[in-house]
Amino acid sequence: MNYAFTYKMYFKANLLYQRLNLLFRRCHSERRDNPSFDPIKFIQGNTEISTNHMTPEIKLHLITPRCALWDSGADQCPVSDPFWAFYWPGGQVLTRYILDNGSVVKDKSVLDVGSGCGASAIAAAMRGARRVLANDIDPVAAAAMKMNAKLNSVNLETSTDNLIGQGLHQWDVVFLGDMFYDEEFASTVSDWLKTLKQSNSSCEILIGDPGRFSFEEHPAKSLLCKVAEYELDEVCRRENNGLTLGGVWAYDPTRTMK
Amino acid sequence: MWPIFDYGRFVSIISSSDVYGVVWMRSLAQLHKMANLRVLVGVKRVIDYAVKIRVKPDNSGVVTDGVKHSMNPFCEIAMEEAVRLKEKKLAKEIIAVSCGPAQAQETIRTALAMGADRGIHVEVTGKEYENMTPLHVSKIMAKLAQDQEANLVILGKQSIDGDNNQTGQMTAALLDWPQATFASEVTKENDHLKVVREIDGGLETVKVTLPAVITADLRLNEPRYATLPNIMKAKKKKIAKHKAADFGVDLTPTLEVVGVEDPPVRQAGQKVESTEELVAKLKDSGVV
Repeated sequence: MNYAFTYKMYFKANLLYQRLNLLFRRCHSERRDNPSFDPIKFIQGNTEISTNHMTPEIKLHLITPRCALWDSGADQCPVSDPFWAFYWPGGQVLTRYILDNGSVVKDKSVLDVGSGCGASAIAAAMRGARRVLANDIDPVAAAAMKMNAKLNSVNLETSTDNLIGQGLHQWDVVFLGDMFYDEEFASTVSDWLKTLKQSNSSCEILIGDPGRFSFEEHPAKSLLCKVAEYELDEVCRRENNGLTLGGVWAYDPTRTMK
Repeated sequence: MWPIFDYGRFVSIISSSDVYGVVWMRSLAQLHKMANLRVLVGVKRVIDYAVKIRVKPDNSGVVTDGVKHSMNPFCEIAMEEAVRLKEKKLAKEIIAVSCGPAQAQETIRTALAMGADRGIHVEVTGKEYENMTPLHVSKIMAKLAQDQEANLVILGKQSIDGDNNQTGQMTAALLDWPQATFASEVTKENDHLKVVREIDGGLETVKVTLPAVITADLRLNEPRYATLPNIMKAKKKKIAKHKAADFGVDLTPTLEVVGVEDPPVRQAGQKVESTEELVAKLKDSGVV
């Protein structure tokens, strides 16, 4: 029997599944098959409330070094890719910028794409945004965002639709906190941003990035201008190997792609 | 992309002056190169150091099937040093390279989780992999360093399976770059690197200009563990796949392993009760 052939077929199918999984960040089928999975209980049991980050004004349910899952490998974690359980440095600098410059969101409608723990959305609500939608396709993230919003006494709308690629006319400000960690995804997002800007020219797009390689080298970066820069704090540097400086970027329609 | 410095005006001022000005400008350019190192790190997948090695019954090699593998400890130290350079803002990009079968990608993923920006997997499988030697690897590393325009190559001093301690030195020779091996400390000084080397007689300090090859020794640093958030982000980083032929390297074996044997079993010793008995036994055996 040709084991090599069956192995290749398994590997290719697995690779395709992994790529789709990564590209759209859907929850693992293990969670879907288990209807008794309670995201709220999971979050309460596996995270702790933390203010040990660059925006201590906001309390968040995060996996910290004191939690069991901190040291687990990707295979041992019961939920697949819990991005919402970590406060990514790109999100931290963006949230810091919103808290320091509340006028950016005051009385405006705000969309936070790939919201994860919801920090940027919570900051916008804290600074008086008229309407805030925190968007993340991971339903466990949606549960986390609601819990975090309650912790900080703000109101948030949440959505798990895949809003990337869609036209969004009703938003004044769009946040993208640390979304450029994957080259392919970065291209998808930057294409979407260009069409968004064309259809709704008054929309302001703010991006937070900690100097990730796939962001630094992306051609779309030439369309952005930096509005703020923050040195990552000690905890952030320790948890994010090699990153030291975060920037907040705004989409500048006057620039052209190099 | 470059900081505020206006090269154009600087060049026109300097070009009107003498040789001294040209030397100044060249070292300034090297300073910029220092702040933007592109580091190539070689990582090897080896049998985990804690595993008990068993020799195959036909004495042709050691058993590797079903045995736990992990990154070579000296490669971990090399990777850690590269990440520390990035944290000090001396390195701009870290590329992790591994030559081996498909499972080598796991090792590259570990390197990505530790802080590398992207990975390169040179796929070598089966008999070709078993017969691969440091000469083949260093030819690949040298070509890669040139293609990727790296200005620093950091490798582990040796692998715990081959124990050859050759790859770093050969790579430097093929590239005609300076080398600093058995590094236990690396510091940046103006336009060169100061490296403290561990040698038999103690410690030796050398200065190397860039580009250079460094091999990491045990006391260079203590590598970090890859934590869940970094493992998650590492899944998204790119690993480019190549074959050795892409670099013009012929993998024909240059060495033939004739046999592999267990070390001899240690003979039992004898216990004595007193020094008189010891002397008597030594006299009997003809040693004294």
